[in-house]
Amino acid sequence: MMMLDSIDELLEHIKEVQVDVMELSNESLMKMSSFMEKNNLEIDEDISTALQYQDIITQQLTATNEAINSMKKSIDIFSHAYKSDEGLANESIVKLKDKLNATLQDAKDKKSRFSGKHATEHADDEIEFF
Amino acid sequence: MPLVIFVDDSETALASTRMVTNSMPIEVKQYTEAQVALAEIKAGMVPDLIITDLNMPVMNGFEFLKELRAVPATKRTPTLMLTTETKPELKQQGKALGLTGWIVKPFNPAQLKQAITRVLRLPA
Repeated sequence: MMMLDSIDELLEHIKEVQVDVMELSNESLMKMSSFMEKNNLEIDEDISTALQYQDIITQQLTATNEAINSMKKSIDIFSHAYKSDEGLANESIVKLKDKLNATLQDAKDKKSRFSGKHATEHADDEIEFF
Repeated sequence: MPLVIFVDDSETALASTRMVTNSMPIEVKQYTEAQVALAEIKAGMVPDLIITDLNMPVMNGFEFLKELRAVPATKRTPTLMLTTETKPELKQQGKALGLTGWIVKPFNPAQLKQAITRVLRLPA
Protein backbone atom coordinates (compact mmCIF):
# COMPACT_ATOMS: atom_id res chain seq x y z
CA MET A 1 0.00 0.00 0.00
CA MET A 2 3.05 2.23 0.11
CA MET A 3 2.69 2.54 -3.65
CA LEU A 4 -0.79 4.03 -3.22
CA ASP A 5 0.56 6.52 -0.69
CA SER A 6 3.15 7.62 -3.27
CA ILE A 7 0.48 7.97 -5.95
CA ASP A 8 -1.61 10.02 -3.53
CA GLU A 9 1.34 12.33 -2.84
CA LEU A 10 2.06 12.67 -6.55
CA LEU A 11 -1.58 13.56 -7.26
CA GLU A 12 -1.51 16.17 -4.51
CA HIS A 13 1.66 17.63 -6.03
CA ILE A 14 0.06 17.81 -9.50
CA LYS A 15 -2.92 19.63 -7.99
CA GLU A 16 -0.67 22.20 -6.33
CA VAL A 17 1.29 22.77 -9.55
CA GLN A 18 -1.94 23.26 -11.48
CA VAL A 19 -3.24 25.80 -8.97
CA ASP A 20 0.07 27.70 -9.31
CA VAL A 21 -0.19 27.59 -13.10
CA MET A 22 -3.73 29.00 -12.99
CA GLU A 23 -2.69 31.81 -10.63
CA LEU A 24 0.43 32.74 -12.59
CA SER A 25 -1.35 32.63 -15.92
CA ASN A 26 -4.16 34.81 -14.56
CA GLU A 27 -1.69 37.26 -13.02
CA SER A 28 0.32 37.61 -16.23
CA LEU A 29 -2.73 38.27 -18.38
CA MET A 30 -4.22 40.68 -15.84
CA LYS A 31 -0.94 42.65 -15.90
CA MET A 32 -1.14 42.77 -19.67
CA SER A 33 -4.79 43.87 -19.73
CA SER A 34 -4.15 46.43 -16.98
CA PHE A 35 -1.30 47.91 -19.06
CA MET A 36 -3.55 48.08 -22.11
CA GLU A 37 -6.40 49.73 -20.21
CA LYS A 38 -4.11 52.30 -18.57
CA ASN A 39 -2.68 53.25 -21.95
CA ASN A 40 -6.04 53.19 -23.74
CA LEU A 41 -4.76 50.61 -26.22
CA GLU A 42 -7.36 49.15 -28.46
CA ILE A 43 -7.94 45.42 -28.14
CA ASP A 44 -7.80 43.40 -31.35
CA GLU A 45 -9.08 39.90 -32.00
CA ASP A 46 -5.77 38.18 -31.16
CA ILE A 47 -5.37 39.90 -27.79
CA SER A 48 -9.03 39.32 -26.96
CA THR A 49 -8.58 35.64 -27.77
CA ALA A 50 -5.41 35.43 -25.66
CA LEU A 51 -7.22 36.93 -22.67
CA GLN A 52 -10.10 34.51 -23.08
CA TYR A 53 -7.78 31.49 -23.29
CA GLN A 54 -7.06 32.13 -19.61
CA ASP A 55 -10.68 31.24 -18.85
CA ILE A 56 -10.35 28.01 -20.83
CA ILE A 57 -7.07 27.16 -19.06
CA THR A 58 -8.67 27.73 -15.65
CA GLN A 59 -11.73 25.64 -16.43
CA GLN A 60 -9.66 22.80 -17.87
CA LEU A 61 -7.26 22.68 -14.91
CA THR A 62 -10.08 23.04 -12.38
CA ALA A 63 -11.86 20.09 -14.00
CA THR A 64 -8.62 18.08 -13.87
CA ASN A 65 -8.17 18.95 -10.20
CA GLU A 66 -11.73 17.80 -9.52
CA ALA A 67 -10.87 14.50 -11.23
CA ILE A 68 -7.75 14.20 -9.07
CA ASN A 69 -9.82 14.77 -5.92
CA SER A 70 -12.21 12.04 -7.04
CA MET A 71 -9.31 9.65 -7.76
CA LYS A 72 -7.73 10.37 -4.38
CA LYS A 73 -11.04 9.63 -2.65
CA SER A 74 -11.43 6.31 -4.53
CA ILE A 75 -7.86 5.29 -3.73
CA ASP A 76 -8.41 6.19 -0.07
CA ILE A 77 -11.55 4.02 0.11
CA PHE A 78 -9.68 1.11 -1.47
CA SER A 79 -6.72 1.58 0.82
CA HIS A 80 -8.94 1.45 3.94
CA ALA A 81 -10.76 -1.65 2.66
CA TYR A 82 -7.47 -3.37 1.97
CA LYS A 83 -6.06 -2.56 5.40
CA SER A 84 -9.17 -3.75 7.26
CA ASP A 85 -9.66 -7.00 5.35
CA GLU A 86 -7.24 -8.27 2.73
CA GLY A 87 -9.95 -10.68 1.56
CA LEU A 88 -11.89 -7.71 0.27
CA ALA A 89 -8.93 -6.49 -1.75
CA ASN A 90 -9.81 -8.27 -4.99
CA GLU A 91 -13.38 -7.04 -4.89
CA SER A 92 -12.27 -3.54 -3.95
CA ILE A 93 -9.73 -3.29 -6.75
CA VAL A 94 -12.45 -3.97 -9.33
CA LYS A 95 -14.54 -1.19 -7.81
CA LEU A 96 -11.50 1.08 -7.78
CA LYS A 97 -10.85 0.40 -11.46
CA ASP A 98 -14.47 1.20 -12.33
CA LYS A 99 -14.40 4.43 -10.33
CA LEU A 100 -11.12 5.56 -11.87
CA ASN A 101 -12.43 4.82 -15.36
CA ALA A 102 -15.60 6.82 -14.65
CA THR A 103 -13.53 9.71 -13.32
CA LEU A 104 -11.31 9.65 -16.40
CA GLN A 105 -14.31 9.66 -18.72
CA ASP A 106 -15.89 12.56 -16.85
CA ALA A 107 -12.61 14.51 -17.05
CA LYS A 108 -12.36 13.85 -20.80
CA ASP A 109 -15.95 15.02 -21.32
CA LYS A 110 -15.19 18.23 -19.46
CA LYS A 111 -12.03 18.77 -21.51
CA SER A 112 -14.18 18.70 -24.61
CA ARG A 113 -16.98 20.78 -23.11
CA PHE A 114 -14.79 23.57 -21.73
CA SER A 115 -12.65 24.15 -24.82
CA GLY A 116 -14.99 26.60 -26.50
CA LYS A 117 -14.11 27.44 -30.08
CA HIS A 118 -10.48 26.48 -29.37
CA ALA A 119 -11.38 22.81 -29.81
CA THR A 120 -13.28 23.30 -33.03
CA GLU A 121 -11.15 23.23 -36.15
CA HIS A 122 -13.57 25.26 -38.23
CA ALA A 123 -15.18 27.31 -35.52
CA ASP A 124 -18.33 29.12 -36.44
CA ASP A 125 -17.88 32.71 -35.38
CA GLU A 126 -21.54 33.56 -35.58
CA ILE A 127 -23.38 34.49 -32.42
CA GLU A 128 -26.49 32.36 -32.14
CA PHE A 129 -29.69 34.25 -31.40
CA PHE A 130 -32.78 32.38 -30.29
CA MET B 1 -27.04 55.35 -21.58
CA PRO B 2 -28.24 51.75 -21.54
CA LEU B 3 -26.84 49.65 -18.72
CA VAL B 4 -25.13 46.39 -19.67
CA ILE B 5 -24.01 44.01 -16.95
CA PHE B 6 -21.39 41.31 -17.42
CA VAL B 7 -21.16 38.38 -15.02
CA ASP B 8 -18.11 36.11 -15.26
CA ASP B 9 -15.88 34.52 -12.63
CA SER B 10 -12.90 35.01 -14.95
CA GLU B 11 -11.21 38.37 -14.39
CA THR B 12 -9.45 38.13 -17.74
CA ALA B 13 -12.72 37.50 -19.56
CA LEU B 14 -14.19 40.59 -17.87
CA ALA B 15 -11.10 42.63 -18.81
CA SER B 16 -11.52 41.51 -22.39
CA THR B 17 -15.20 42.52 -22.53
CA ARG B 18 -14.38 45.83 -20.79
CA MET B 19 -11.83 46.70 -23.48
CA VAL B 20 -14.27 45.77 -26.23
CA THR B 21 -17.12 47.87 -24.84
CA ASN B 22 -15.26 50.93 -23.55
CA SER B 23 -15.83 52.83 -26.79
CA MET B 24 -19.54 52.00 -26.96
CA PRO B 25 -22.31 54.39 -25.83
CA ILE B 26 -23.29 52.14 -22.92
CA GLU B 27 -22.78 52.00 -19.17
CA VAL B 28 -21.08 48.78 -18.08
CA LYS B 29 -21.09 47.05 -14.71
CA GLN B 30 -19.15 43.85 -14.11
CA TYR B 31 -19.50 41.12 -11.51
CA THR B 32 -17.43 38.03 -10.75
CA GLU B 33 -20.34 36.48 -8.80
CA ALA B 34 -23.87 36.11 -10.14
CA GLN B 35 -25.41 36.26 -6.67
CA VAL B 36 -23.93 39.75 -6.15
CA ALA B 37 -25.39 40.99 -9.44
CA LEU B 38 -28.73 39.43 -8.53
CA ALA B 39 -28.74 41.15 -5.13
CA GLU B 40 -28.21 44.52 -6.83
CA ILE B 41 -31.00 43.80 -9.31
CA LYS B 42 -33.33 42.87 -6.47
CA ALA B 43 -32.30 46.12 -4.77
CA GLY B 44 -33.43 48.15 -7.76
CA MET B 45 -30.77 48.04 -10.49
CA VAL B 46 -32.44 47.67 -13.90
CA PRO B 47 -30.05 46.50 -16.62
CA ASP B 48 -30.95 46.81 -20.30
CA LEU B 49 -28.82 43.81 -21.26
CA ILE B 50 -27.25 41.00 -19.25
CA ILE B 51 -24.29 38.99 -20.52
CA THR B 52 -23.36 36.07 -18.30
CA ASP B 53 -20.98 33.13 -18.17
CA LEU B 54 -22.46 29.66 -17.62
CA ASN B 55 -19.93 27.75 -15.49
CA MET B 56 -19.44 29.72 -12.30
CA PRO B 57 -19.11 28.63 -8.68
CA VAL B 58 -21.95 29.23 -6.18
CA MET B 59 -24.53 30.29 -8.82
CA ASN B 60 -24.16 29.20 -12.44
CA GLY B 61 -25.53 31.00 -15.49
CA PHE B 62 -28.73 28.96 -15.71
CA GLU B 63 -29.51 29.41 -12.01
CA PHE B 64 -28.88 33.13 -12.44
CA LEU B 65 -31.18 33.25 -15.47
CA LYS B 66 -33.98 31.47 -13.57
CA GLU B 67 -33.67 33.99 -10.75
CA LEU B 68 -33.67 36.89 -13.22
CA ARG B 69 -36.88 35.68 -14.81
CA ALA B 70 -38.51 35.60 -11.37
CA VAL B 71 -37.76 39.28 -10.77
CA PRO B 72 -40.39 41.53 -12.44
CA ALA B 73 -37.80 44.11 -13.56
CA THR B 74 -35.70 41.53 -15.44
CA LYS B 75 -38.45 39.12 -16.48
CA ARG B 76 -37.87 40.03 -20.14
CA THR B 77 -34.43 41.64 -20.07
CA PRO B 78 -32.35 40.41 -23.03
CA THR B 79 -29.75 37.98 -21.73
CA LEU B 80 -26.82 36.48 -23.62
CA MET B 81 -24.78 33.48 -22.47
CA LEU B 82 -21.03 33.93 -23.01
CA THR B 83 -19.42 30.56 -22.40
CA THR B 84 -16.89 27.91 -23.42
CA GLU B 85 -19.77 25.41 -23.68
CA THR B 86 -20.82 24.36 -27.17
CA LYS B 87 -23.27 21.50 -26.49
CA PRO B 88 -26.59 21.90 -28.41
CA GLU B 89 -28.57 20.49 -25.46
CA LEU B 90 -27.24 23.26 -23.20
CA LYS B 91 -28.23 25.86 -25.79
CA GLN B 92 -31.71 24.35 -25.89
CA GLN B 93 -31.88 24.48 -22.11
CA GLY B 94 -30.91 28.15 -22.24
CA LYS B 95 -33.49 28.87 -24.92
CA ALA B 96 -36.19 27.19 -22.84
CA LEU B 97 -35.24 29.39 -19.89
CA GLY B 98 -35.69 32.53 -21.99
CA LEU B 99 -32.15 33.19 -23.11
CA THR B 100 -31.74 35.67 -25.98
CA GLY B 101 -28.59 34.22 -27.52
CA TRP B 102 -25.44 32.15 -27.12
CA ILE B 103 -21.86 33.30 -27.65
CA VAL B 104 -18.98 30.81 -27.55
CA LYS B 105 -15.64 31.88 -26.10
CA PRO B 106 -13.24 33.05 -27.27
CA PHE B 107 -15.54 35.66 -28.76
CA ASN B 108 -14.68 37.92 -31.66
CA PRO B 109 -14.62 41.56 -30.37
CA ALA B 110 -16.33 42.97 -33.47
CA GLN B 111 -19.13 40.43 -33.24
CA LEU B 112 -19.67 41.04 -29.54
CA LYS B 113 -20.02 44.75 -30.34
CA GLN B 114 -22.46 43.93 -33.12
CA ALA B 115 -24.51 41.70 -30.82
CA ILE B 116 -24.78 44.40 -28.16
CA THR B 117 -25.63 47.00 -30.81
CA ARG B 118 -28.31 44.75 -32.27
CA VAL B 119 -29.93 43.79 -28.96
CA LEU B 120 -29.94 47.35 -27.62
CA ARG B 121 -30.85 48.79 -31.04
CA LEU B 122 -27.96 51.26 -30.84
CA PRO B 123 -27.03 53.30 -33.91
CA ALA B 124 -24.64 51.16 -36.00
